[in-house]
Amino acid sequence: MERLVVLLIIVVAGCSPKIKSNLTNAQPALSANDEVAFLDLKHEVPQKVVKIGSLKFQDSGFSTDCSFNSILNKARLEARKNGANIVKVVEKKEPDLWSSCYRLNIDLYKFEGSVSSLPQYKLTLD
Amino acid sequence: MKNLFKILPLAGLLILQSCATIVSGSRQTIRFNSMPAAATVYINEVEIGKTPVEKDLKRNQEYKVAIKMDGYKPYSATLSKKFNEWYIGNIVFGGIIGLVVDPITGAMYKLSPDEVTARLANDNSDVVFKSNRDDVHICVSLNIDPEWEKVGQLERAE
Repeated sequence: MERLVVLLIIVVAGCSPKIKSNLTNAQPALSANDEVAFLDLKHEVPQKVVKIGSLKFQDSGFSTDCSFNSILNKARLEARKNGANIVKVVEKKEPDLWSSCYRLNIDLYKFEGSVSSLPQYKLTLD
Repeated sequence: MKNLFKILPLAGLLILQSCATIVSGSRQTIRFNSMPAAATVYINEVEIGKTPVEKDLKRNQEYKVAIKMDGYKPYSATLSKKFNEWYIGNIVFGGIIGLVVDPITGAMYKLSPDEVTARLANDNSDVVFKSNRDDVHICVSLNIDPEWEKVGQLERAE
């Protein structure tokens, strides 16, 4: 019974990807209404931006909620919390034989101005 | 006949592997309705349509829902993942495969609206959550935004 409880805890708690953050220049938090742009590998970061920090999303080994869109959604929450309005994917590993998860390295930036006009990735629901 | 009595429990055991995935599936239907109708529904800030609308969502994620309409206070809620009781079927029937498969497919969860948070945060007194077996139906009566001023009323032409 104890083993079963441990298994259940691992399964329930371990479903999110592991996030490593390195936020060197956090800014005042943004509101939920502030728009955040997603820049994929092919999208370029505009000039005159301030780098807030970086995030690394890895497979915890038990991760199941780790699709590309789901990770970007989590990154957006971190971005707003730290005052960033650009989420830039700098490295992307797609699911393969070793992991069923997307593994992303992300940089967060603060851009003065409207991010809606930037060429960007449009988030969808899985 | 004797063989049948041996085969039936074994077949049942095999069929009931991954209980929650078989019974509930990896997605759950969430229906949205509002008063007045034609309010825009957003899930994780992605527009999914105007009410009444429904969406099949993966069970292994949490979702932020917002229902907005000009002139009315926006409504927002969180769809949280809760434990799906069908997962216990794996334990009852000894389905080791199901213990692994159900978390992977997300079927060990069911989506459920966080009712209390939604009411406190938004002052929408007429929010109805209805769970019909597995589906969730969210019906919101949007309150008029007091910051908007009524300047006129369209009348039906004779």
